[in-house]
Amino acid sequence: MPRITIEPFAHSYECEDAESVLEGALRHNLLLRYGCKHGGCGTCKVRLVDGDVDEHGSSFALTDEDRAEDLILACASVPLEDCVVDVSPTELSEDEFHSGDTSRPYDTVVESVETLTTDIAAVRLRIIGDRMPFVAGQFVNVEIPGSRLVRTFSLANCPADDDRIELIVKLYPDGAFSQFLRSDAVPGTGVRVHGPYGQLKMRLSHRPVLMIAGGSGLAPLLSMLRDCATQGFDRPVTVFFGARTEADLYLVEEITSIGERLRGFAFHPVLSQSWGPDWPGGTGLVTDAIARWSPTLAHDVYLCGPPPMIDAAVPMLTAAGVRPRNIYFDAFTPAAQTVPA
Amino acid sequence: MSSNLTALHEKTKSYDWDYTSVTPRPKFETKYKLPKKGKDPFRVLIRDYMKMEAEKDDRTHGFLDGAVRMREQGRAEPRFNEIMKPVLPVLTNAEYQAVAGCGMIISAIDNQELRQGYAAQMLDEVRHAQLEMSLRNYYVKNSPDPAGWDIGQRSMYLHPAAQATIGEFQHFNTGDPLDCIVALNIVVETAYTNILLVANPQVAVANGDNALASVMMSIQSDEARHMANGYGSIMMLLAEEDNVPILNKSLDRHFWHSHRLFDLLVGFASEYGARVRPWSYKNQWEEWVVDDFVGGFIERLSEFGVRPPSRLAAAANDVAWGHHTIAQVLGAIWPLNFWRSDALGPADFAWFENNYPGWSAIYQPFWEGYRTLADPAVGRLMLQELPGLPPICQVCQMPCVLPRLDCNEARIVALDGKNYALCSEGCEWIFANWPEAYRHRKQFWERYHGWDLADVIVDIGGIRPDGRTLIGQPMLDMERLWTIDDIRAIGYEIRNPLAG
Repeated sequence: MPRITIEPFAHSYECEDAESVLEGALRHNLLLRYGCKHGGCGTCKVRLVDGDVDEHGSSFALTDEDRAEDLILACASVPLEDCVVDVSPTELSEDEFHSGDTSRPYDTVVESVETLTTDIAAVRLRIIGDRMPFVAGQFVNVEIPGSRLVRTFSLANCPADDDRIELIVKLYPDGAFSQFLRSDAVPGTGVRVHGPYGQLKMRLSHRPVLMIAGGSGLAPLLSMLRDCATQGFDRPVTVFFGARTEADLYLVEEITSIGERLRGFAFHPVLSQSWGPDWPGGTGLVTDAIARWSPTLAHDVYLCGPPPMIDAAVPMLTAAGVRPRNIYFDAFTPAAQTVPA
Repeated sequence: MSSNLTALHEKTKSYDWDYTSVTPRPKFETKYKLPKKGKDPFRVLIRDYMKMEAEKDDRTHGFLDGAVRMREQGRAEPRFNEIMKPVLPVLTNAEYQAVAGCGMIISAIDNQELRQGYAAQMLDEVRHAQLEMSLRNYYVKNSPDPAGWDIGQRSMYLHPAAQATIGEFQHFNTGDPLDCIVALNIVVETAYTNILLVANPQVAVANGDNALASVMMSIQSDEARHMANGYGSIMMLLAEEDNVPILNKSLDRHFWHSHRLFDLLVGFASEYGARVRPWSYKNQWEEWVVDDFVGGFIERLSEFGVRPPSRLAAAANDVAWGHHTIAQVLGAIWPLNFWRSDALGPADFAWFENNYPGWSAIYQPFWEGYRTLADPAVGRLMLQELPGLPPICQVCQMPCVLPRLDCNEARIVALDGKNYALCSEGCEWIFANWPEAYRHRKQFWERYHGWDLADVIVDIGGIRPDGRTLIGQPMLDMERLWTIDDIRAIGYEIRNPLAG
């Protein structure tokens, strides 16, 4: 059986045949950071220092730059021989590593499902029993009742409200979770949630903050904004929110209201498809609107939205002066998950 | 480590007892509450540690031996070699003060786990000092111009800028011993040694000095252990809630003071002492100090109440300009330097403007004028172009011209009828909170008030063995070198700006 050595902690364990690097660690009560467990979210990116692995499944979570730096996904990599893996990219502390997995299932009930736009809904769940401590920016895996399918959603509520879960969900005509929300999610319906996962979070620094949201991607940024307002955040925050039409924008009043509690806050809704003659906000692609707003940037940037938006934004931001390390995002994950073992 | 040795290792840490017949009087008082138990951050048996360090020493000395035979030093960029003349003695002093600091910390902490870690760190610091002395020995014997290398340690106590380094490193072993940990292990080791000992070797290699890179990398390989000592210590302190506010205050103090020293002098040395610059200091600072130290180390501690340094934004603003201003000052006082300075040229101007937009308008005219005055035949010094000497900050010992001459934040504060100059709000805050730590520090201009510059140069040993030529020179390539007679002919008198 191949032996995995985890650096920088110089700790090793054995993987069974066909067991991924992540599965082996969890079986030995060790924690490696993970999220979706199927190669979608990129939370478990680690560096393969030595050895060889079989990388199964399709994954867009690894960029070409990641591969050039020998990053692999621990959840989707089965060792073919003894390997040395450096978990520094996940910022895991040694205490966390040895403490094992602290994410777990939570039983919740539906409190409300509120339609925000024609294809976006806010889902509010109340946790039964223990509260779920989390950091603004993290996500959860939600079991779709009556199936073995799981969907991944960022938490939109403030971490101070850790007895509940608020999700912002894009509704698809044939989506399994969308069907559940339309037909069965009456208040009181039980829903099992696993989490919290993910490393997206506000970073300490001196830089002003730029948030860029697209579509239903407002959720983690909304959680951050709510947290900022609660904590008395003291750096300037600017939010760009891209949507197709004015009808596709949502929670604008709440964002504006949060902004009144923050220092140096600015909110720029941007419409890409159509807008009326009196539309006071930005128009075109959200990336173009940012470039018009400021040709040079020295911000911490948090993004959440469809992959094409992120793909367009990252080079634009770095060209404007943002350090690549200061651009933070979780890509959307494809819906191909099943209930965790 | 075998299981028997591991058990033995654990047992050695339990050689401890509580006093029952007397009340122990601590040798060094601390305001912090210290829990009895901590966590051994070292986790290596001393004999394994010795073997590992001996191997690293062998490699480094082996490299230096080979470098002599390969005439390596002849390939190093002279500008870089010159700037190392002040840098290395400063570093050695830091190591020495850290040795003393570790002893003080061991005496103060009644916690065997951490004592084990600091005992090993003390050995590390001794090893580093020895390696740096070996490197200086190598430079003295092999540098094209050894003048200055031979008197570095002595000059460090005499040169005006060196006072700043002494002031900073005294924090390693004065005052509250737990504050010494904040200064040494938390701020200097964790926030700044990566810039100093990982990023700077890149500059060294880019400028042909592989010897310096080899020694610095060997030293840096120990620093992770010292960071672990700091982390273990701070986690011990955070177990007591009452420690949190005083820890945050200490972090504010030492972050600002270390920012003043490292960001100004390391920034100056790495950019103005290089011809090839692989990165800008500002970018390295954002990487190591902001994103790694604040965004990583401090962030992990924030759930326990540790705050990021409250003057982080002010430091970020100064990092863009401060070391350029210090380069001006060190250029203007070149006759006092124990290294040869160099004038910037068109390639330097382009690099600085590209990496620090706006640099040309502020600093380029100075360097053009500097080059004009470099010839001793002109018979004039840049010092004579200034309206007066800048006052020196009573806290950080830097000139009060920061971040830039045109927008400096200098201020004068009176205490018990005496005026003190301070360079910034941060240093004013430190002075107000810990006046006794700083008020008695002597000032260079005060010491030499009324002296002729030539006499000052003689007094601090700035003359070459021929008895006439200055060690400090304004440029590397000159037809004729400045002599003490050239300086005496100018007749420049030192005037303490704070004298009535």
